[in-house]
Amino acid sequence: MADAGRAGTSLEIGAGAGVEIVAAGVEIDAAVLPVRDVNREIRAALAGGAPVIVRNPGARHSLGVALLAPGQVTFDGSVGYYCGGMGDGATVHVTGSAGWGLAEGILSGTIVVDGNAGNSAAAAIRGGTVVVRGDCAARAGVSMKGGRLLVAGNAGYMTGFMMQKGYIAIAGDAGDALADSMYEGTVYVAGEIASLGNDTVVEVASDTDQAMLEAAFAEFNLPPPRHFRRIVAGRKLWNFEKHELETWRAAL
Amino acid sequence: MCGIAGYLSKGDDPEPVGRIMLDMLSSLARRGPDSVGMALYRTEPGHRETCWIRLPEDGDTAAHERRILTGLAVIAEVGPVQRHEGLLRVELATSADAAAIRAAAEGGSRDVEIVSLGHQLELVKQVGHPDGLERAFNMSGFRGSHAIGHTRLSTESRVDLTHSQPFWARGAADVATVHNGHITNYHRLRRLYEQRGVRFFSENDSEVIGVYIADQLDRGLTLEEALESSLDDFDGSFTYLVASGDAMGYARDPFALKPLIVVETDRYVAVANEEIAIRAALGTAGVAHEPSGHVFKLWRRSQLAAPVAAA
Repeated sequence: MADAGRAGTSLEIGAGAGVEIVAAGVEIDAAVLPVRDVNREIRAALAGGAPVIVRNPGARHSLGVALLAPGQVTFDGSVGYYCGGMGDGATVHVTGSAGWGLAEGILSGTIVVDGNAGNSAAAAIRGGTVVVRGDCAARAGVSMKGGRLLVAGNAGYMTGFMMQKGYIAIAGDAGDALADSMYEGTVYVAGEIASLGNDTVVEVASDTDQAMLEAAFAEFNLPPPRHFRRIVAGRKLWNFEKHELETWRAAL
Repeated sequence: MCGIAGYLSKGDDPEPVGRIMLDMLSSLARRGPDSVGMALYRTEPGHRETCWIRLPEDGDTAAHERRILTGLAVIAEVGPVQRHEGLLRVELATSADAAAIRAAAEGGSRDVEIVSLGHQLELVKQVGHPDGLERAFNMSGFRGSHAIGHTRLSTESRVDLTHSQPFWARGAADVATVHNGHITNYHRLRRLYEQRGVRFFSENDSEVIGVYIADQLDRGLTLEEALESSLDDFDGSFTYLVASGDAMGYARDPFALKPLIVVETDRYVAVANEEIAIRAALGTAGVAHEPSGHVFKLWRRSQLAAPVAAA
């Protein structure tokens, strides 16, 4: 009889403390539930096909991690570290800001942050889309293995560090050591670049690139970006060459 | 890890900064429950000089207290005296400078330490969780203009009162620091200062930040200039906060290795390692932002626009 407290009328089925079924979907009050229960309720609601809105997230950590099914989740406020991490398919919307490790390691799905993101947004994602309407702090897109990261504002130090695949598009300015030691993938920057990282090459973005990026920004109602430059790997650090020892010294 | 937090009001009226800081630190205590402390600033600059002194752990506490007060009475009119746990709080009316007050109180003893000194600063700290700090010092009712605080996860030095933060920037009245990270050139800097006769009380690398700031101010630098020069003079990972009678600010290492979230509204500036602490203490106002690396910022109350009065 573990679910005895949840029986009652048919309207209340599936609802527990801090969870309310409303016309638009399921509403969860994060202020009165442990994070583990918040995530459990989100998964249960998504499994039932209902969109979820989480009130009072209070910048708590690990909200909406490991959501492995499609569905719509809105966090009404700021979230802490690792929001939406390890996800595969869900569409997550954060109306405030996000802390470190936003969307870390997602395979697919979409995570949109209306405010700013802390360090290491979209770290090691393999697919999906991460959108930050404000600024990203240091190391956004570190070790990206696919997918895309769209930043409407500025991006901080070492954005795209050691990225391997996918692309990052920054409508504002990029900080120092941009795309340092990238293996592959592409970084697009429309604003100023404080400095480039090791083994990077700046190219002119093609018309096809520009059209693709403008479409992506339009898809998320971001302001139309200016013309992008494109940064790719110089590929000098792929294999060790003794006569390029100085390059290696600088990189390490 | 360690947790650090700061709050600065833009208004003229005293605010419950003790309660705000306690709420922030309680939220951050997960980051380090070894010890906790806060530096609180009262708004009136004309308050008597207030001195917090750490008593020796060994021996007759009452005798230590008598010896310290006798020493201070030579150079100052000694006002109210209170003892909280291992700390003595003494108010002084004196024209003597910080060095003379230190000499009078410490009296050459290795075990007596002036923990803080200033007209606006109250600096309390102890081993354990923020709840214990409130039980011992009852600072939740403190009203003032700004505050910084710390919860400690000890990684490389002892867990005791001496190694707890905040650290007074020893010698610079009203200046205090809290630090999250490791200053990896600490030993070199410490040797440098010791050769010049500076005394260190702990083996906590964070202590050198206060010593450094005090030294830079002593050389005639402004607090802004001291923060800026520290970005290149310190090695390692650091996000630290500094506060003076008029200001609060931060400095961050080039790699932005330790977190720092800033929320600024027209009424206040709040900073912490994690936004959760700001939301727990102050609610949902303002947009959180994380600065990049190799940056510093200082908010001076005297230079901030007065907040718009509530309708």
